Amino acid sequence: MNVLRTRTGLGLAVVVLVLLAAAGLTGLAPEYRLLNWTSWLLYGLVALSLTWVWGQAGIFSFGQAAFFGIGGYAYGIVAINLQPFTGETFSAVLIAVIVAALAAALLGYFMFYGKVGDVYVAIITLATSLVLLTFVSSTSDPSYHIGKALLGGYNGMVGVPPFSFGGTPLASGAFFLVVAVAAIGVFLLLDGLRRSPFGRVVIAVRENELRTQLLGYDIRRYKLVVFAIGGAVAGLAGAGYAAWALFINPVVFGLQQAALVVIWVLVGGRGSYLGAFVGAALVQALSLSLGGEGGGVTPIILGAVLILVVLLLPAGLVPSIARRVWRPRDEKIGKLPEPAVEPDILAGTGGGTPLLRTEQLARAFGRVRAVNGVDINFEGRGVHVLIGPNGAGKSTFFNLLTGRHRPSAGRVFFGDVDITRSESFARARRGLGIKLQVASLYNQLSAFENLWLAAYSRVSDKRRATQRAVDMLAWLGLLEQAHEPAGALAHGQQQWLEIGMVLVTEPSVILLDEPTAGMTREETARTADLIRTLGVWRLVIVVEHDMEFVRRLDVPIVVFHQGQVFARGGLAELQRNDEILDIYLGRGGAEHVQAG
Amino acid sequence: MHWDTVINLLVSAGLEISVLVIVSIGLAVIFGMMGIINLAHGEFLMLGAYVTLSATRAGLNLWLAMLFAALVVGLFGVVIERLLIHRLYGRLADSMLATWGLSLILAQGVSYVFGPSTQGIATPLGNVRIGAYSISAYSFVLIGAAILMLLLVLWVFKRTRYGTMARAATQLPAMATAVGVNTKRINMWTFGLGAGLAGLGGALLAPLAGVTPSMGQAYIARAFMTVIVGGTGVLTGTSAASGLLGGIQYLVSYLSNPFLGQGALLILAIVILRLMPTGLSGYWGRRL
Repeated sequence: MNVLRTRTGLGLAVVVLVLLAAAGLTGLAPEYRLLNWTSWLLYGLVALSLTWVWGQAGIFSFGQAAFFGIGGYAYGIVAINLQPFTGETFSAVLIAVIVAALAAALLGYFMFYGKVGDVYVAIITLATSLVLLTFVSSTSDPSYHIGKALLGGYNGMVGVPPFSFGGTPLASGAFFLVVAVAAIGVFLLLDGLRRSPFGRVVIAVRENELRTQLLGYDIRRYKLVVFAIGGAVAGLAGAGYAAWALFINPVVFGLQQAALVVIWVLVGGRGSYLGAFVGAALVQALSLSLGGEGGGVTPIILGAVLILVVLLLPAGLVPSIARRVWRPRDEKIGKLPEPAVEPDILAGTGGGTPLLRTEQLARAFGRVRAVNGVDINFEGRGVHVLIGPNGAGKSTFFNLLTGRHRPSAGRVFFGDVDITRSESFARARRGLGIKLQVASLYNQLSAFENLWLAAYSRVSDKRRATQRAVDMLAWLGLLEQAHEPAGALAHGQQQWLEIGMVLVTEPSVILLDEPTAGMTREETARTADLIRTLGVWRLVIVVEHDMEFVRRLDVPIVVFHQGQVFARGGLAELQRNDEILDIYLGRGGAEHVQAG
Repeated sequence: MHWDTVINLLVSAGLEISVLVIVSIGLAVIFGMMGIINLAHGEFLMLGAYVTLSATRAGLNLWLAMLFAALVVGLFGVVIERLLIHRLYGRLADSMLATWGLSLILAQGVSYVFGPSTQGIATPLGNVRIGAYSISAYSFVLIGAAILMLLLVLWVFKRTRYGTMARAATQLPAMATAVGVNTKRINMWTFGLGAGLAGLGGALLAPLAGVTPSMGQAYIARAFMTVIVGGTGVLTGTSAASGLLGGIQYLVSYLSNPFLGQGALLILAIVILRLMPTGLSGYWGRRL
């Protein structure tokens, strides 16, 4: 992970801020400098909100400037109306933060619950800002007012009160201090979140959405919460900005402002919280020295910076420098606890007899009926294998069970519960463990972290999750590889690791799609033993191609053909069935040929 | 309602929809065929308008100037693809950021050369009387142009060798390379085609709106919305999304005011995406 030594960075930042404050308060630096520094801190805070949603959670948002603007306008409206009575603007800041967070949550709801892709998130957030720009710009008529606050259209809202307590506005030195403390507070808060289990799951969402979902996490909710927090931080910065500038105008919703936030983060480095502030200060200092913000040559320089950073320094300034200054050293690896002597790997199950049943389940793609009315039930413990020629519909059937496809007709029951319409994560929560054909791991995270994330989805307790992950590592024989990135493991080890991740969520039913695809002979043999062991404790359903493996498993078989269950029985029994040989050898001729 | 009112309303709605097609088809070609969102698209439109402006001032016939603008901006697109875009394939976020940087540079650069003020091209052809209404004849030109641009894209992708290879490269890039399609070259032409369509779009809009260095910004929000609501199917997506969004925008603008019209467009777009995350063409399973 490209996490910087945030503690060192924070220490440095605090020292710099204290020095600056001292310079400002003792009169060493002129007041206008102090004002500049205050605005840079506020810009750094918006940039930090983008680092959080983009760098941390992988949500590519162009809308942080818009939430900044929403926060600014909300502060202005509330402060203009309340400040004359209460003499303070603290309530206005609070309301601004809440409004911005709600705006982000609303937009996030549509994006994340609609499951739109990354590009779409970027475009929707950008387009939302631009529509706000048009919207607010056309409110110059005095009839557009909220209480005593005139929105002011393109000219903006004037007469926004400064930060004030007990009727007196803050002096510029005190204002700087308040903003600095707020910035450090937010920094610490986000850093704490990053280290919390919540933050680890957020990283998991960024690294591999599908896997995270199959472990039972509702990734839509995680993204929504992350996005709302990002909106709140941007809103806080916007409120501070309005109080600093004493006015706010629709330029904050414009393209250039949206680009600026991205540039700050890119220059500073999207993986670094400190980078957000460094990037904002550097770029603003640059554009200040080029003759003020806005017009003139600034946009050209900004555009060039954007292109050059993307082409030459994609990691950003702070991480690139930090890598040179501090020798690359792994993040401190906590010592793992010893594995339990007799680990209770397969204990704790959904209780009762596992049962998975389908009723007239069907799925068509266009005119191809991939699955065509399957009635089947699996009950009790033990392994079952689904086989069938290519295009028989077994993979589609598997995906109907996992929730990846929605059936065109029919129903799926898990125990007594109808899960036909359930999302994948909800099925996983109920106790359906899913392993897809291609190993789906968090390649950048260590084997231990992979298992920890799986265990945590079940136990929701940091320490217990750690213990369970270690026990599973020991059981899989992967203890020595505990700290290796999962992506660096051998192919077979990756498959076992993923099976371990499924097991650690304590499923009562396990679905495996071609677990031996691409494995060597020995790995296949070992996997067969592993699956048979699982079958003693659980209901295991395996989709498989490799007849050698099926023979080795020696368990009840379901034969799929033309989207339907063709036969069930033991291997010996099925081998005597002439029709099945026809299906496999194609002796029936053209009538068996079908679309896959 | 009188027949002339009906016709007037239909032409106005048709104009709104055509403008959406005109401003978004170039973006849609690049997004649908290359998976890249060109954030400098608005500035490509703007360049098209300025080329037209300069060419007419140099004495070129307006219609020829428009075609010339398409050609110039198309070639500019090819150059940009060679210099910038081709380094960023497979890096979605980075390609958006780089084109964004380009858009800032273009807008400000043009402002240096031509000045920041609004310049106009007189709307040609005058007005047509329909009953009690007088409608600008140029509206009909724009509606016709939108239809022609859609047909042109259809022809290019269905009937030309380049089009077949481009569609192959979109569906299975590795396979297309394996059977001898030079995907690099295809991408270069696709980007050029998208840029050329954007240039033509800007040229067509020049007589309608003022020509300013920031004119791109006025259209891109709608162009982006049209393209993502449409999805990756260039033709089905663009035409269906333009029809829906342009229709709602016109309807709401007509019933209340233009700025609520824009709001309605955004809301409809977001609701459609909530229901069909891959856009209309994705929902219908259309590739072109």
